[in-house]
Amino acid sequence: MARGTSALDTMPVSPLARQTRGLLAILAGATLVFLYLPIAFLILFSFEEADTPGFPITGLTLHWYEKMLSDSGIHTALFNSIQVAVIVAILATIIGTMAAFPLVRGGIRFPGAARILFTLPIMIPGVLLGLGLLVFITLLKIKLGLYTVIAGHLVFTTPFVVLIVAARLQGFDRRLEWAAADLGADNRKTLRYVVLPLIAPAIVAGALLSVTLSIDEFVVTFFTIGPQLTLPLFIITQIKFGVTPEVNALATVILVGTLSVFGLGTLLLSGGRRFGRRGTE
Amino acid sequence: MADLMRQYSRRQFLKVTGAAGATVGAGAFLAACGANSGASVAPTSPPATTGPVASEGPTAAPTGTFNWMTWGDHYYQAQVDAIAASNNIKINPTLFSDNIDAYTKVKQVGGQLDMVSGDALWVPHYFEAGLIEAWDINSLQVSSQLYSIAREFEIWTKPEGYLGYPFGWSPVQVYYDPANVSPAPDSWEVLLDPKYKGRVVVEDQPVEIMAYMGKFSGAKNAYSMTPEEIAKAKDLLIQLKPNILRLANQATDTIAALKSGEAWIATGNLGTESRVKDQGGPELKVFTPKEGTIGWMDSEMIVKGGANESLIMPFLELAEQAEYIAANFILNGRPLFNEAAYKILVNQGQQERADRFLYNKPETVHTMDLKGPGTSTQAVIEAFNEVFGA
Amino acid sequence: MTTDTRSGADPAPLAGSARGLRSRVGRAAPFLPGLLMLTLLFLIPMVIMLVFSFWRTNNDFDLVRDWNVSNYARFFTQATYIRTFIKTLIMASAVTAAGLAISLPFTYFLVRYVSRRLQRAVLLAVIVPFWTSYLLRVYAWQAILGEKGALNQFLMGTGLIDKPSTLFVYNDLAVFVVLIYVYFPFAALALYAALEKFDFTQLNAAQDLGARPDQAFRHILLPQIRPGIITACIFVFIPILGEFLAPTLVGGAGGSLIANLIINFTRQGQYPEGAALAIIVAAFVTVVLIIFRRSLRVEDVVTRG
Repeated sequence: MARGTSALDTMPVSPLARQTRGLLAILAGATLVFLYLPIAFLILFSFEEADTPGFPITGLTLHWYEKMLSDSGIHTALFNSIQVAVIVAILATIIGTMAAFPLVRGGIRFPGAARILFTLPIMIPGVLLGLGLLVFITLLKIKLGLYTVIAGHLVFTTPFVVLIVAARLQGFDRRLEWAAADLGADNRKTLRYVVLPLIAPAIVAGALLSVTLSIDEFVVTFFTIGPQLTLPLFIITQIKFGVTPEVNALATVILVGTLSVFGLGTLLLSGGRRFGRRGTE
Repeated sequence: MADLMRQYSRRQFLKVTGAAGATVGAGAFLAACGANSGASVAPTSPPATTGPVASEGPTAAPTGTFNWMTWGDHYYQAQVDAIAASNNIKINPTLFSDNIDAYTKVKQVGGQLDMVSGDALWVPHYFEAGLIEAWDINSLQVSSQLYSIAREFEIWTKPEGYLGYPFGWSPVQVYYDPANVSPAPDSWEVLLDPKYKGRVVVEDQPVEIMAYMGKFSGAKNAYSMTPEEIAKAKDLLIQLKPNILRLANQATDTIAALKSGEAWIATGNLGTESRVKDQGGPELKVFTPKEGTIGWMDSEMIVKGGANESLIMPFLELAEQAEYIAANFILNGRPLFNEAAYKILVNQGQQERADRFLYNKPETVHTMDLKGPGTSTQAVIEAFNEVFGA
Repeated sequence: MTTDTRSGADPAPLAGSARGLRSRVGRAAPFLPGLLMLTLLFLIPMVIMLVFSFWRTNNDFDLVRDWNVSNYARFFTQATYIRTFIKTLIMASAVTAAGLAISLPFTYFLVRYVSRRLQRAVLLAVIVPFWTSYLLRVYAWQAILGEKGALNQFLMGTGLIDKPSTLFVYNDLAVFVVLIYVYFPFAALALYAALEKFDFTQLNAAQDLGARPDQAFRHILLPQIRPGIITACIFVFIPILGEFLAPTLVGGAGGSLIANLIINFTRQGQYPEGAALAIIVAAFVTVVLIIFRRSLRVEDVVTRG
């Protein structure tokens, strides 16, 4: 946002600040390399001839991509995973964001207990969550399916959203809301145009975390799923033969596809509503 | 100001609550209605009371999809596609890895699954728990293609009938790299030899590992060991621990370690050495330990109360044909119980490979300690945890 | 130090019925869906598991309603569980500390010096790889850290070492590295959400008033992003207590963490035995969270009444 309009950018920059900035840039770059190093190998192994991803590489081939493209089982599994992840993210974000408000702003009698309650699902091993849910579901005589998987995933994703939005909401400058009220905005408008946009980064972060958690989960999924498969389930259950590079091929395609779609989307869309940094404009 | 706070809280959020609640409620409602894919059109012929019988003639051939919980190597795509195309019977497979997972699932959901695969002693366990049907295996024509021994396994025979359609089997064998391991071993002892510190790979299966140690120390039944036998096995386990490079989560891990040369000794099912060689790894040797080994043999079981039960017999009649089984062997390299398929493999010039994998020796299963629920499960896990904990 | 007005201290107390039940319910209403969800989908299943933990499994893998506490006693009488639990706590702390150390500079740089649009792109670039399979990513790490892995090949190729190093080969250090990697996006996203609202001009103002950069950092930035740091710690530390895949895949024979010992039971259908151990772990963490509840507070000043 170096448009020169914000006070931050027009201030004189000391050499120390410049050095720090440079150092941070290098660190950030190194972190990105660290993040993508295994990914590079993951992609590499999708081309290897051998049945098993790993060294040594005996030759390169596109055969796994062919196999992956014609394997309808894996496509269905992938589609199921995406479906579940998207719905879980939407639900978790809505429920979690809503729950964060009373947690931070009062209205709950025992906020400490509520907070601990929301933290608990994160630490319970998936096996217990899954089995407990399965027993409960069958007690209620509900049929297993993707919906029960969604229910299971909600349990461990919503806490992340609640915690991240609550942290953002704490210390939120109420004066902004009061100012909006002074200017004639009702609650809905205040919420929509003042509060939500300012906590949007936390909501988005929560949504992204939910997708990440859901899309690769297999333990709770195994117990709560009906006669379907999700992608992680498909991968994990290849145990007698093990994972072939076909999965690497799929992962590469997903990776490249999502990055392109999102990357294009982000770069094409204008910078969105810009509220600038607090204290400027 | 106060008004703002009051209205802000109540009205606004009640609306949003309502919307979200409706979404959650709708989801729950749909779940209760059982909106899951895989349920099929009700087949025409209802199952007989004594158990399912193969469909008699062309009059009312059932079609549709049934739910099959199985391992990934029990079928291959071209096979199920062909059956779907010719007879319109489709499968809706769910995969699993450990018998206990499938058992727990079937126990909970029963008839939501139609067919389930299981190993050795798990099969009678399913039956005793009232989860599967017993039926007349000879009512399936294709069963005549099986080795006769496979139709007469005592553990799978009940007065009510046979408990499953036999598929494949494998003992656990020990693989080693002769370039690094000498003299040629013939006993479980090689796993414990301090010469091979950090060069051994075993599967991450506490009960199985303790079973290996049990076999080595002379336990009568590796899955139902006495406390003394367990104590002996545990001592051996302590010696084994420093030798272990890693506990393999999947067969891939074992193969990867062997192929890269990081591991010199490993336990595994039949066919591991071929896969390592095929992928550029060293040429390994294999042996069955002289003290005896454990193993598995699996079968397809019919779940009681499955909605699509009548599809199973017609499906098996087709899917278990020798041509498919032979092709499956070529793909996956496991000995299977279909004798006619062996003959096909011989005709295809695959005899050497089939014999190497003991295909023509199904009686080997009688020499193995068969996998299944035993009496010492909990105790061996405790012992394992004590050795492999921090 | 935040001022009172920022945290929205209430004006004169509301009179009469405004403080009554209706107002309270109204304010708590948005919490209800979450509460309902947790009760139905978490609390009840956990109560079921709690009940199971007092039963036992027989040889046929069936549940027997034989009320006993031996599953809990096991944790305390067989030393391996406490030892492994302590090891898990140490590993989780180390990963949290290292994770924070890596993600804080990264996120700081991202928020301060990168344009908003690019920020989103980078965030996505950070998180999208984590939508691929965990298994595949860890396999890739094996390929890097293993004895014949890329790292060793690189070090030997450049002549830095002449024998393959076993520093990262199937041991706790490998688990450490992989866990940092796996939990990085959690910490980064939590920190991002907190840093993003920070007004960086305060740092300049502080320096104008004579503060050194590190003083400004410590006394102005850190306190304000404290909720974010705490959240990041929770997002990394607590799930690691339930982490079993990484130890299995790269930890070798000695890599077991407490969750591995638990799933050794549950993978053989010994659910009561596994449940009891997991409940003990959860109880421990809950007690810690209660003890430290003051520092973990997210409620605004006004509600602390």
